[in-house]
Amino acid sequence: MNAPGAGLIEMSVAGFLILSIFSFLYKDNPFYRLAEHIFAGLTAGYYVGLIYQTVVVQQLALPILNDGKLELIFPAILGILMFTRFFDRFSYLSRISLAFVMGNTAGIFLIQQLHGLVLPQTQATIINPMAGDWLLGAVPGGIIIIVGVITTLIYFYFSKEHKGVLGKTARVGMVFIMISFGAHFGYTVMARLSLLIGQVKFVAFDWLPRLIGVN
Amino acid sequence: MNRYRIAEILTKIDRRIIYLAILLATIVPFLVGFPQPIYVSKESRDLFNWVEKIPDGSTILLTFDYYPSTLAEVEPMSRAAIKHCWRKDMKLICLTTVPLGGPSITERVMNDMAKNWAVEELGEEKKYGVHFLNLGYKPDYKAVIMGMGNSFRGIYPTDFRGVPLDSFPITQNIDKYSDVEFLYIISDNGIVDEWVTIANRQFGIPLGAGVTAVMAPKFYSYLQSQQMVGLLGGMRGAAEYEKLIDSEGMATLFMGPQSMVHLMIIFFILLGNTAYFLGGRKA
Repeated sequence: MNAPGAGLIEMSVAGFLILSIFSFLYKDNPFYRLAEHIFAGLTAGYYVGLIYQTVVVQQLALPILNDGKLELIFPAILGILMFTRFFDRFSYLSRISLAFVMGNTAGIFLIQQLHGLVLPQTQATIINPMAGDWLLGAVPGGIIIIVGVITTLIYFYFSKEHKGVLGKTARVGMVFIMISFGAHFGYTVMARLSLLIGQVKFVAFDWLPRLIGVN
Repeated sequence: MNRYRIAEILTKIDRRIIYLAILLATIVPFLVGFPQPIYVSKESRDLFNWVEKIPDGSTILLTFDYYPSTLAEVEPMSRAAIKHCWRKDMKLICLTTVPLGGPSITERVMNDMAKNWAVEELGEEKKYGVHFLNLGYKPDYKAVIMGMGNSFRGIYPTDFRGVPLDSFPITQNIDKYSDVEFLYIISDNGIVDEWVTIANRQFGIPLGAGVTAVMAPKFYSYLQSQQMVGLLGGMRGAAEYEKLIDSEGMATLFMGPQSMVHLMIIFFILLGNTAYFLGGRKA
């Protein structure tokens, strides 16, 4: 997308790299690999600089030095211990940091998923399908939700062979899953095309006309 | 020529011809125009109506949770959201949970809208620190979203330029989710799950989202459970929102090429299936 105020040099760099990446559609070539390596290198360099500035400087060094928050030394030690993995003799010390991260993450994640996802989503399927308006689609929609949830769950029930009623129900569940995959696929195509359209518009209608002096 | 020969020719079409056809289908609508009617979906209208009901002059949070690679799809959503909010004289506190490009995209879009669109449309420039603020990026989005529930200043003592929040008029009485009216998420990644399960569920802030089309189907379940008030899905969602605010932008322009390429893909799918059935067992 054309960035307002972008100069011709910046636009030309962007345009060249976009064309280099697209050139892979014809076949692999040095321009594609150049663009790929520039992207990987820039991303890594940018991340290192950003994390150093936003974590090490802003959240560790400045609070300790300016505000005297000495308690931050403990997470700093945990962070430093992670680097002991590079030394065989002391690598076991990194497990302390990893244990902290895993325990902390598991605790937060468990509550977050249970409270924020599992319970409200389950609650949303416990509905009275007959409540609401037939004409507005509320009743058919409610019935579809209930049938879809139950049959899809049965499809993933593997403790009994899918035969007879169980097999037929699981097959209905599979139809719901396929419809879901279809919706995902359609949306994915739309998303990827949107990105293509954005890049084509930039190259063909923003950058090239300006490069040759038409715009 | 028998049907097996036709099937053989169809199945051996060089993939580069297909790429070329897609490229032409993208470019031609820009040149000759291919305007498409835009029908507004319920989830887009719900989001618009919710924002419309927020009292004028309120403060809301607006996120720029996307990478530069998806700009074409989600930036029109950000611009449409800003237009809608500023027409209602709302104050926007912006932030990003995306390190790569997030802070600079926020800065570029907000400055452009404040200095250009606001002057042309509203007759006045929107001022930094008064009408909008850029909090920037902080690592570990989960900790950021949880921490902001207790205190914005605890997570963001300064804006992204390093100026203390207390020095801005916009944040004088704002320090937690309950101080803002709404959370407007524009995202191209799974961060929406965290906003919903933490900010909405644990701290009760109402939220709506504009997301890439890849992600949209996943978030429909949040509409059903009423954890989200509305949803914009991909470029189509952005175009719908542009129609709702009566301000055609990039998304509306892109719907022509989008529809043309979709038709081209349907044509190739039909062609592939025709080849498959013509070829039969022999193929």
